[in-house]
Amino acid sequence: MVNWQAFIVVVVAAIVAACLLVTLFSTALRVGDGAAPWRRLVAVSLYVLCGLVVCFGLYLIVPALHGG
Amino acid sequence: MLVVALVIALALFFDFTNGFHDTANAMATPIATGALKPKVAVAIAAVLNLVGAFLSTEVAKTISGGLIREGDGGVRITPVLVLAGLIGAIVWNLVTWLLGLPSSSSHALFGGLIGAVMVGAGFGAIDGGVLVSKILIPAVLAPLTAGFVSFIATRIAYTITKKRERDNFKIGQVFTSSLVSLAHGTNDAQKTMGVITLTLIAAGLQPTGSGPELWVIVACALAIAIGTYTGGWRIIRTLGKGITDIEPAQGFAAEVATTATILASTNLGFALSTTQVASGSVIGTGVGRKGASVRWRTAGRIALGWLITLPASAVVGAAAAFVAGLGLWGVVLDVVLAAAAILVIFVRSRRSHVDHRNLHLPVPGKFVRPKKRKTVAVR
Repeated sequence: MVNWQAFIVVVVAAIVAACLLVTLFSTALRVGDGAAPWRRLVAVSLYVLCGLVVCFGLYLIVPALHGG
Repeated sequence: MLVVALVIALALFFDFTNGFHDTANAMATPIATGALKPKVAVAIAAVLNLVGAFLSTEVAKTISGGLIREGDGGVRITPVLVLAGLIGAIVWNLVTWLLGLPSSSSHALFGGLIGAVMVGAGFGAIDGGVLVSKILIPAVLAPLTAGFVSFIATRIAYTITKKRERDNFKIGQVFTSSLVSLAHGTNDAQKTMGVITLTLIAAGLQPTGSGPELWVIVACALAIAIGTYTGGWRIIRTLGKGITDIEPAQGFAAEVATTATILASTNLGFALSTTQVASGSVIGTGVGRKGASVRWRTAGRIALGWLITLPASAVVGAAAAFVAGLGLWGVVLDVVLAAAAILVIFVRSRRSHVDHRNLHLPVPGKFVRPKKRKTVAVR
């Protein structure tokens, strides 16, 4: 039968991952909208975090990287 | 031997239609928001599908496991049955493309094979429990999950950002849609590799239990990449324009939801159909943005398409298996009929041509409906 527990894990993981990435990117856009020098710094570091999340996605896609 | 060659040719053609059909999953939203030019988008998708096909052969090795009972006391699937199944899958894939419906290529493939095996080996050859738990229930869960995730992601994106900042989501879209393409390549090219390998093993040309040969991998990767580059523009239009009008922030949210759902499901539990997840995300983002309207009639047509994909390709596969059962001439007749059907669909598609040039033009009388006015759309 269907593994409902696995399904719940999938839903939760998908929500957490999607919300994290969207929040990071949106905040980066929001913070980057201004002239103050600190804004640029924070925005860039948020983009870098987004990049890391995307890299984790790549890691999951390529089976050779996680022994699958 | 002739049959094996035919199966390989048809399998590669199915792979082509698979790429062709599924370009929309990753690239409909960036094309709709203008984040990527249509031609550039399909080129990126093609390259990433090509790369993805080389990354893994795990899915290929397990393609035949489960659904069709094999081994001791089960049926031995013959190349002729695979041939019939592929005909069912290809014909149905092309029909849904003609209608612009984003339907699952995997379902078409499984449906075709199931239909063929039922005729060739009887109903007992199909494991009903596996059919329900591996295909039917995930098919319901996939769009619901993706839609919900996409809804939340859209809300977050619109809460945090201000209007003038939202155009920059286009940059993010390039990365997220690329991830979807890569994930698609690692999964879908494998299915065809699995089918070809299964046939070679069944024909005794390859030892039992061995993985796909290099030339099979290369051929499948190329077939899916070329298919992707050719682009199923009709489906891209349905997904990008037909369901709801997508803004860059929505496109980004929908793609993030698609990527997250697909990666979570393939790594933690069970594989969900990329097509169904992508469609669910687009609907979810349409519900999530205030002021956006979802065209539920189009969404309903898509859902109907999902329901009938498996049985419909099963019927075609079963018919093909029945004809093929008549002997060598039956097989030849099958291939001729399939070629004729493909030709008819192709000729029919020329009547209302859709490609990257007229993608953004509205369809007369179809998707353009004046809001809050009771006038019948004029053709």
